[in-house]
Amino acid sequence: MNGDLKLKLGGQEFASRLIVGTGKFSSVEVMLEAIKASGAELVTVALRRFNRERPSDDLMAPLARLGVTLIPNTSGARNAEEAIRAAMLGRELSGSSFVKVEIHPNPHHLMPDPIETYEASRVLAKEGFIVLPYMPADPVLAKRLEDAGCAAVMPLGSAIGTGHGLSTAEMVKLIIADSGIPVIVDAGIRSPSEAAAAMEMGCSAVLVNSAIAAAGIPAAMASAFAAAVNAGYSARQAGIMSRCDHAVATSPLTNFLS
Amino acid sequence: MNADYATGGTSAPPVIRGPRESIPAWIDPSPWLALARGATLTDARRALDSAQPGEAEFAALLSSAAGGLLEEMALRARDLTRRHFGNTVSLYVPLYLSDFCSGGCVYCGFASDRPQSRRKLGKEELIRELDALKGMGFEEILLLTGERTPQAGLAYLRDGVAEAARRFAAVTVEAFPMLTEEYRALVDAGAIGVTIYQETYEPVQYEQLHRWGPKRDFANRLDTPTRVLEGGMRMAGMGTLLGLSDPLVDTISLYRHAMHLRRRYWQSGVSLSFPRVCPQEGGYVPPFPVSDRYLAQIIFAFRICMPDVPLVLSTREAPGFRDGMAGVGINKMSIASRTTVGGYGQPAESPDGQFHVNDDRDIETFCAMLKGKGLEPVFKNWDKVYR
Repeated sequence: MNGDLKLKLGGQEFASRLIVGTGKFSSVEVMLEAIKASGAELVTVALRRFNRERPSDDLMAPLARLGVTLIPNTSGARNAEEAIRAAMLGRELSGSSFVKVEIHPNPHHLMPDPIETYEASRVLAKEGFIVLPYMPADPVLAKRLEDAGCAAVMPLGSAIGTGHGLSTAEMVKLIIADSGIPVIVDAGIRSPSEAAAAMEMGCSAVLVNSAIAAAGIPAAMASAFAAAVNAGYSARQAGIMSRCDHAVATSPLTNFLS
Repeated sequence: MNADYATGGTSAPPVIRGPRESIPAWIDPSPWLALARGATLTDARRALDSAQPGEAEFAALLSSAAGGLLEEMALRARDLTRRHFGNTVSLYVPLYLSDFCSGGCVYCGFASDRPQSRRKLGKEELIRELDALKGMGFEEILLLTGERTPQAGLAYLRDGVAEAARRFAAVTVEAFPMLTEEYRALVDAGAIGVTIYQETYEPVQYEQLHRWGPKRDFANRLDTPTRVLEGGMRMAGMGTLLGLSDPLVDTISLYRHAMHLRRRYWQSGVSLSFPRVCPQEGGYVPPFPVSDRYLAQIIFAFRICMPDVPLVLSTREAPGFRDGMAGVGINKMSIASRTTVGGYGQPAESPDGQFHVNDDRDIETFCAMLKGKGLEPVFKNWDKVYR
């Protein structure tokens, strides 16, 4: 577990442990308001939504003006080769060395391809990128990605956009237990309580997109997520009491023996 | 009881009886037709409430009974559309490269027996058209031709794709059935998707409607989306021309066909469009007219049963219908379309389009409508780097 107050990624420090995605918003203005309200310093954006030729359709420039650190993602790539090309272009256009490797070749469930994700992450880490791979919640793969030089691993809570929460919780716990790099739950989180649960579990950060973009008031939901992530992280730092199958009296029965 | 396809009517549409031996078992709609024709309100409600709707639920949602649940279907369709595609609608524009055609489709304004003069875009015209569309802000373009002709065959189309791919993030094609290696050549030139409509899955009706030319080959057309994906395209666009045949047969077949392809080509996608035939040059009157209400029901049924598949609506449809469907099932739309060869580079409109554009709003007006509904118009949702 990362016991520092700040999130450390790729040699940089971030006060916020909430990372926000930028897809699915009803307008750029709504997206920017939500990001401001979230307090997020790290924001993911799909390279395919960079549009230098039509500013009103572009996501990169308004995010850059906001002063957040961009994490270009390779969504759309079907294999490592495409993801590597996309990462290179993303770095060139955004100036950011962060990359979220997203390789989900099946358009119907968008599950990450572990083989291609590993290969792209390995190459990009060697190329000097700060690599954050979106991955299946597989403890073995997580260690392989760590060994390959990734700055963090991003296991999925459940399928992108489904809001099914931390359905992989037991696997994520195993990943956290063994990980020497930050573990960031990405995808599936629907409500702030689930984000808090991920942080209580020992995650270093959570990435939220659909749950904010699809909320009735995205900025208000972003703010709620920020509070939940802080609460979950603080709780973890404070030391959460362990569960016990039987009642334990606050005035123990064996006091008379001491 | 038959579904009430046409506006206000309750009489049963004519039933086409004919052999379906030429349809593979995995497309044949027969197992589900009785359910679609006879579903009760209870069946329809159970389908609508199903956590994992499949073929049976799809059939039930196409029934007359489900028509009584249209508002509830719309609610579920909207929720699923927004869950999978967010509060966005992707925009694209069609460009007709040529209206030369070897086909004899009874219902089409480009059929080879129409008396109009034919033309195709020359290189300079093509560049002017592409630049005009790029200047309008489009990043996804659909290039169209008629059936294969010496004037507009593979080489011509491939050159058009390459030229478009230099300018646009996403280039797709709607042309004639090709061989797998021909599709591969278009992928190499920069295309990422191909749309090919079966028109109708009724073999007998298909034969009657396609009077001559290579398009008469029903089985070849049926196999085309397979070759599209086998050739390396990322997306196969599919659809039937609603109005030509019993929509229950066509929509159930389309659903089964699409499901089969997505299981087999798991690294590619299918998208579905819902063109309705309308009276054309030649005065074709569709035998199975589909009402607005039933078209909406079909789209909602597809969204509910295929929540993650892009559903497309073109400017064939009128503004009111398009506005109502945007984000409520439909997540991708064309706008500012012309169905004549070229026409974007110079303002004069010629009268010989393939079909009548019912929504002739400009981009700004259309985007303002989307924004008013809380939907973000997205022009660029792809990147050349993924070619």
